[in-house]
Amino acid sequence: MAEKIGKHIAIYGKGGIGKSTTTSNISAALAEAGYRVIQIGCDPKSDSTNTLRGNNYLPTVLDSLREGNKIHLDDISVKGFGGVLCIESGGPVPGVGCAGRGINAAVNLLQELNLFEEFKPDYVLYDVLGDVVCGGFAVPIRDGITDRAYVVSSSDFMALYAANNLFKAINKYAPTGGAKLGGVIANSMKPGYHREIVEDFVAKTGTSIAGYVNRSIDVQQSELYGKTVIEAKPNSAQADIYRNLAKYIAENENLVVPNPLGSSELRDWARSWGDRIYDIENGVVGVAEAI
Amino acid sequence: MSSVIKNPRNGCALHGALQTVQEIKGVVPVVHANAGCGVINYLANSNASGGNSKFSGYSIPGTAAQERHVIFGGASRLREQIKNTIKVVSGDLYVILNSCESAMVGDDVDAMTREIVEQGEPVVDTLVAGFNGGTHFGYEHVLADIFKSIDQVKHAEDAKNPKLVNVFGIIPGKDPYWQGNLDEIQRIFEGFGLEANLIFGANGDAADLSNAKNAAISIVFSRWGELPAKVLNEKYDIPVLLRPSLPVGVEDIKDLAKALIGKLDLEEDKIQSFIEKEESYERNLLYRVRDEIIENGLSKKAIIVGDEEQAVRIGRFLKNQVGVEIVGTILTDALKKDEEHETDNEEILKSFSNNVYKSVDQKEINDIIRGSRPEVIFGSSLEKEIANKLDIPLVETSYPVFNKLIIGKSNAGVRGLVSIIEDYFTVVREFEYERKLEIQKSLKNLNKEIWYEKGDGYGRVKSNKGLYIRKQELGISNG
Repeated sequence: MAEKIGKHIAIYGKGGIGKSTTTSNISAALAEAGYRVIQIGCDPKSDSTNTLRGNNYLPTVLDSLREGNKIHLDDISVKGFGGVLCIESGGPVPGVGCAGRGINAAVNLLQELNLFEEFKPDYVLYDVLGDVVCGGFAVPIRDGITDRAYVVSSSDFMALYAANNLFKAINKYAPTGGAKLGGVIANSMKPGYHREIVEDFVAKTGTSIAGYVNRSIDVQQSELYGKTVIEAKPNSAQADIYRNLAKYIAENENLVVPNPLGSSELRDWARSWGDRIYDIENGVVGVAEAI
Repeated sequence: MSSVIKNPRNGCALHGALQTVQEIKGVVPVVHANAGCGVINYLANSNASGGNSKFSGYSIPGTAAQERHVIFGGASRLREQIKNTIKVVSGDLYVILNSCESAMVGDDVDAMTREIVEQGEPVVDTLVAGFNGGTHFGYEHVLADIFKSIDQVKHAEDAKNPKLVNVFGIIPGKDPYWQGNLDEIQRIFEGFGLEANLIFGANGDAADLSNAKNAAISIVFSRWGELPAKVLNEKYDIPVLLRPSLPVGVEDIKDLAKALIGKLDLEEDKIQSFIEKEESYERNLLYRVRDEIIENGLSKKAIIVGDEEQAVRIGRFLKNQVGVEIVGTILTDALKKDEEHETDNEEILKSFSNNVYKSVDQKEINDIIRGSRPEVIFGSSLEKEIANKLDIPLVETSYPVFNKLIIGKSNAGVRGLVSIIEDYFTVVREFEYERKLEIQKSLKNLNKEIWYEKGDGYGRVKSNKGLYIRKQELGISNG
């Protein structure tokens, strides 16, 4: 296989957890720092790059594939904020067909179109639907696509459950040349015990935190404007959080193969936190004591 | 633990379903699969005996699904294909066959079928995917699925026929003699004063599917016919009679008649006179070859390789009537771990075979054959190699049979009994003749001067290589 052009990074996360927002802001921050960046949305919803391109229409790779015509890179990509090349893999309408195979086909097609040779990116970010429900959604972390993955998670159990699933997939594919884990991006952090839950989870799974992203009105507002925080509110504290996160991801070489928790282990762990949260919320103990 | 299976002789469930509906006149199969699924079956079977039906291989209507049909779903492509097929191919019934990929993607094949049925077209579907099982599974499930819905799409008048008998369990193609056997079963039932609802082959058609509900009984000749018979029983209260195998010879026919008496309105005199005629015919022909059976040493040690029904059918007959010792029987049905069938032939198998094995792996089959030290194999063409290695004759009775055309010949019933004897005798004689030619050829290369003139007292002479050879084989007369 030819040498990879640029660093290829997969960003996973449960649906609705903020992975597209986070990925787009990382892309924007990298572009702002002068790098050539490609962001590929690997989600049938095909809304990963919306805020990078001001919600403008972009035909998806699979839409073009369905037409059966010869596909050119120009047809399926558009330059967004800071020159970030935006691509959406797309997929079938919900409830029909096989979205997993769609991701697979789209990624293969991009390689066939010599996307990376043509654009010569410094960074390629894959924004992937994170429940890794079938082999198709694990394509970006298999051999030859990316060599590192990050997972966006809040302190909610289901988000951590999805992260744990990704760890299982990494654990399976890493020995055969698949991606390793760069870390967990702790998103939607609120004051209280939320950080501690995620920190406890990464400690249990032998992983690390890539950065904390607090809940912020700036994110919501920028989204409503159809922009990233980097573009809409470049001077905000939130923009700096994303810049730092982007810098960390760009430079981090500490990649690990996580030790996912087994089903009952994960359940027991969640239950123990359930008890502690109850005590904290009811004032039985303080946050520090509970932890 | 997974392991290598050499030369598996069973196809997938789609193939089973396809070769089942292909052999029903008036039925048009529509395969919803990628290009190749239907053709593979054709290629496998066209090498073997039996020829091909109207819709086979490249002429099977199919969706030839491509990657985009996997990603975005192939249901609309299927709709298009059904409509186009109906336009260009006239048929009495269109059967939609599902495949692995459409099952994995979750195409709503049922909805497409309903849509076309609502337009008044006779269409049924089966959701059996290739990976659901083997050829046998495909046969039983496609028939069961057809019977579940045919009355809504191809209604036949409700008129119970007390003489009509549904015939199940003979898988077209999987029994190389299926057409001849159906003919023979039809002849026997006619002899009993009954009508056989054959469904398949030259004397059956799509109307038999619709009319199956009017039968007085369903007779199931192998475990693979149980499911369609069960569906008819549940829907139309048609009783089911399970048989261990098709009958061979008069004794089996008597047994079949006995099983039917009391269940159907039969004229026993008519049956009696039919059986007497059959008995006389069988006795007459067997009498003619009484000496040949002994002289050619047909009471050999044999091993049988084939599907259970065929093994039971041939094995019992060979043991009981030809004096063959069955040293082993290897069953090749594509069984699944959770297969549920009522048919239980274990005792019958044990009654005629010293050992019973189940395998579809040619290496294992060859090892069993080698270890059983048989003098003759009753099996498929796949056993030719081991037969050659062991230097023993092979009588081809089970699928696949290459290089031999079997389109109307039977090996069931009285006619089948005769054909088994003919085949067995011919194979043994030819084998002995070839052997004799070989020996004569090799003897030409020996120095005749060093020959021991004296025999060994057992009708044999000894060559300079220490090889004992029967005088008979050399064409030397005694003395």
